[in-house]
Amino acid sequence: MRLNFVVRASLLACSLCISVAAAAQEKTGNKEGFALKPGTVRIMLMRPVIQVGAQSTGGMYEPNADWTEQARNYIAASLQDAQSQLGNEVTGYSEAASGEGPAVTQYSHLFSTVADSVIEYQFFAGNRLPTKKRDKRFDWAVGPGIASLKSLEGADYALFITTHDEYGSTGRKVLQIFAAMGGVSVTSGVHVGHAGLVDLKTGELVWLNADRQMGGDVRTPEGAQKRVKQLLEGFPGKPVEAAAVAGK
Amino acid sequence: MRYAILITALLGMSSSACLANALISPGPHAAIAQSRLSATPDGEWNRLSRRDGKNVELWTLDGDALNKVTFFGGIPVGRPLLREVDKKNRPLPKVTSNMLITDIPALLESTYRSQFAVNQLQIETQEPALLDGNKGIRFTYAFARADDEVLRKGEGIGAIVGGQLYLVTYEAPSLYFFDKDLEKFHRLIATLKL
Repeated sequence: MRLNFVVRASLLACSLCISVAAAAQEKTGNKEGFALKPGTVRIMLMRPVIQVGAQSTGGMYEPNADWTEQARNYIAASLQDAQSQLGNEVTGYSEAASGEGPAVTQYSHLFSTVADSVIEYQFFAGNRLPTKKRDKRFDWAVGPGIASLKSLEGADYALFITTHDEYGSTGRKVLQIFAAMGGVSVTSGVHVGHAGLVDLKTGELVWLNADRQMGGDVRTPEGAQKRVKQLLEGFPGKPVEAAAVAGK
Repeated sequence: MRYAILITALLGMSSSACLANALISPGPHAAIAQSRLSATPDGEWNRLSRRDGKNVELWTLDGDALNKVTFFGGIPVGRPLLREVDKKNRPLPKVTSNMLITDIPALLESTYRSQFAVNQLQIETQEPALLDGNKGIRFTYAFARADDEVLRKGEGIGAIVGGQLYLVTYEAPSLYFFDKDLEKFHRLIATLKL
């Protein structure tokens, strides 16, 4: 009886914490004072990092090459449609003869890690780091070393995009149903997306849109389109966004 | 009864699962990682509420994926460095009674291979060092975890004192972050006491 009481109280506490966390979470941030006017800068669209797979019954990620390939193609097509509507000149990244491919890939992975740290320690207010809590500034970077990359010369900003999707396996979904019947919350599926602008002179992250519960099934053209729209929501310098800011 | 459960749950929220990360202010800090380890940082750090093991404490500046100091405080014989997440399929190596100081880097390496799916970890340098007057080892390493593929560098200082393992490591992405805070780590480990 006593154990039952403790278990029920713990489960309730956990579920309350999860729901408070979800409700409290922000999704967008930008460096203080940062704004872009349409037609003023050149943006390099970095090669998106896209991972798609299944989530096993135990919650482990199992990569799926076919899904990843599909998502890459659909997201690339959606980005191509979207990039002409971002208000500034956007060109796709090309390594050309620079030999900087591995270094640029590392910057993409680092961006993703920084973006995830922003979600974990800034967007989720209850988990903020005390040293960063006092001032509410958005102070994140991938470092000034990015300015020395020759293949990014001529661009003012780099737009990084990463997505990571895990679709719940049948076993995971069954587990979710049984767990729910027992009053325990088990999630099925992971859908993380980050889109961020990095200032190529300083390496500072000046704008970020990131969420761990993104919409759109990236394995379909319509879903990929929805995902890209969500990733680029509130993009600085976008005509509609710029007009909305000016109208405020 | 229902009200009692709700009240206990709310108390639990404020005291356990929702525990906030804590500020480490400059000055002496004792009983780090629930052990006799102490340090006197000269600047501020954040102590994460998350614990990766009974005698493990994490400090960071920007988040543990970007810079992380891990204190392993007196891991006894028979215990792994970190809490085992999958004992059956991914058991972790344990501290053994016949372990030498020079075995410490290899213990960290094999722990990481199991726990974090680290495929490549190179111990780059190793040299004798003193940890508060106790014979120990200082070593540097580089690795990448399978989940984020970020190349990271690490540095550690460890010793076996009274049959227990004491180890303090600093890890950060090779790009930008490792060099940014390395000096702060060096100043921190210079103040370690047992």
